[in-house]
Amino acid sequence: MTAKIQPVSCSPGASHTDDTIPPQLLRAIAPLHPTAMGVAWAVVCGGLLTVATLYLMLRGPTLLKFDLLSQFFWGYRVSVAGIFIGLLWGAGVGFVLGYGFALIRNAALWIWLTTVRSRAEMEQYSDFLDRM
Amino acid sequence: METEEQEQIEHAVMVLNEKLLGTALGILFGSMLFLATNFLILKGGEHVGAHLALLSVFFPGYRVTFFGSLIGFSYMFVLGFIIGIVIGAVYNKIVRA
Repeated sequence: MTAKIQPVSCSPGASHTDDTIPPQLLRAIAPLHPTAMGVAWAVVCGGLLTVATLYLMLRGPTLLKFDLLSQFFWGYRVSVAGIFIGLLWGAGVGFVLGYGFALIRNAALWIWLTTVRSRAEMEQYSDFLDRM
Repeated sequence: METEEQEQIEHAVMVLNEKLLGTALGILFGSMLFLATNFLILKGGEHVGAHLALLSVFFPGYRVTFFGSLIGFSYMFVLGFIIGIVIGAVYNKIVRA
């Protein structure tokens, strides 16, 4: 079963009918797409590590020991092979970071919405016993 | 009505504003390097920021001095801005597909 996702419009003047949530409000509480965020971060992290490796290769030896990244990224070197290994590691780590960020942000948003709703309901029924 | 709204929220997905995300990340990245540099300057010592100064390999002109922190801010702002634009563009392309 797949739910159809609906991207929230960014146009401030977007109209809405009475039985729907206003787009401005929906935009504030809409969840992030974890896979899309993961891919976006993967592109950035993989790209950064690739560009950095390529730059260091072209520049030649420096005081910067970029090879030390192999402590975390197994097999990584400032070399031609290291460009591809770095791309893979960067993309992998970036995806996990992006996906995790979106999940945590969505969870935090869900907790916040639940709290707000619970408080509103408690306020609504606070005088329940008085009316009995 | 309540379930209708709940469904709307569940099926909605956020679209990012690339330029705003880029600006936010740019300010965040820039401030981080600015603060880190000035923290080391204020801390002082024999070799001030010996490791942070290695960033000049990627950012020519950057030094662990107050003027260098301004240069570092500029570099990191541009880097953060580009990262934000790329993240926003890729994310939006996937979400809208």
